[in-house]
Amino acid sequence: MSEEKKLTRSEFLAHCGRGVGLLIVGGVAGGLAARNARAGMVWQIDPNKCNQCGQCATHCVRDQSAVKCFHAFEMCGYCELCSGFLEPKFITPDEGAENQLCPVGAIVRQREIDPYYSYEIDESRCIGCARCVKGCTQFGNGSLYLQVRHDLCLNCNECSIAAACPSNAFVRVPANKPYIPRLGANL
Amino acid sequence: MSGRQTLLRACLVLLCLLPAIASTGVEYFSPPPDLGEGYTYPESYQAEPRAGWLAWVDTFALTVALTLAALIALRWRRRRAMVWLSVASLLYFGFYRKGCVCPIGAIQNVARALFDTTYVLPWVVLAFFAFPLLFALLFGRVFCSGVCPFGALQDLALLKPVRVPRWLDEGLSLLRYFYLGLAVFLAAMGAGYFICRYDPFVSFFRMSGRFHIWVWSGAVVLLSFFVGRPYCRYLCPYGALLGMLSRFAVKRATITPDRCVACGLCADACPFGAIREGEEDAQQ
Repeated sequence: MSEEKKLTRSEFLAHCGRGVGLLIVGGVAGGLAARNARAGMVWQIDPNKCNQCGQCATHCVRDQSAVKCFHAFEMCGYCELCSGFLEPKFITPDEGAENQLCPVGAIVRQREIDPYYSYEIDESRCIGCARCVKGCTQFGNGSLYLQVRHDLCLNCNECSIAAACPSNAFVRVPANKPYIPRLGANL
Repeated sequence: MSGRQTLLRACLVLLCLLPAIASTGVEYFSPPPDLGEGYTYPESYQAEPRAGWLAWVDTFALTVALTLAALIALRWRRRRAMVWLSVASLLYFGFYRKGCVCPIGAIQNVARALFDTTYVLPWVVLAFFAFPLLFALLFGRVFCSGVCPFGALQDLALLKPVRVPRWLDEGLSLLRYFYLGLAVFLAAMGAGYFICRYDPFVSFFRMSGRFHIWVWSGAVVLLSFFVGRPYCRYLCPYGALLGMLSRFAVKRATITPDRCVACGLCADACPFGAIREGEEDAQQ
């Protein structure tokens, strides 16, 4: 009976190691869980930090970038000469491809109530290059801005656009509030 | 320069000089026009992220897979069942979930959370980090054998295993600790997630990626045609953690010395060099 109770040295060491391992894993996990156990976090662009460098179009791991242009219509000036729509050196201020800033023609311009134009983004075409955002930010209300589309984003652990972003505009936000409105947007 | 353009430039300069009237506290370059009562703004589509309850499904799937792997490895002892389990894991965690979040990458999130108190660690990442480690304390590295999609991919790629010389095998396996240290250090410093950045397998799951990643992925897969699980054995930082804990596992695959006739067949058959002749116990 007494012989069975006796631990061999290796068994004793295994018990100790197991205890220490459990203590470390449990301690780390428990401590972190107690500190901030939150639901999911998702990537988003803070439009107030974005400097329209254009890397969102090229650095996403997906072939089609998960970043697309978003239009806050409440902020839009409905300008005829929209600096987010027209090339700075346009020939005539119309919808001709040579006059458009957008390289893929994703901005659809329509005459709303005279003399105002509405500018809508064709999601299926937008590549997230931020050229329109740059124009709208420099000489406009900034109603056009980039946002991560969560139906396209894979929510990588390390977002490769975030790693390339020069202005640290990529942040993780709670999944129940996944979009960041630009200052002035009534959203 | 056309006349219209000059006019536009002049207008823009004039607008810049004019102090904007800030009635709503926001200064607009060209204030939004009053489009009348009848006008409704177009709807802006904003897709919702993946539903929160699906994180529970992922965690449940991980737990079930780990339990099954432990049962297959230690009780039922069926190699074929383990292959099917790893294929299922490859499909779910790899191709469906696109490899994110995985326990290997979660090391960095945990390291970051330990050093940066403002960093928010989602509970699902913590669960993915801790569950395989706890299972390793109980049943050894069952995560590696049947759950890890990377391991499954390398197992499926293995065509003709070549025996790696022992000195080389042991030397290279030290790389894992170096890699783990580097990744933890960089994550703790907030310098990005090194493991995820140079992950050789997620490019297959996403079927996209940049050129240098594809070169790296191709090299690892080519190597795993002839060397069993090269990433796991020589680079995987999570494998290093699991290996440390699995030494103290409650129950794990062993060779009973009394019944071993030392024929050496098992050491020859193991494509990963896990069984060495003259040693009493073996690990996955």
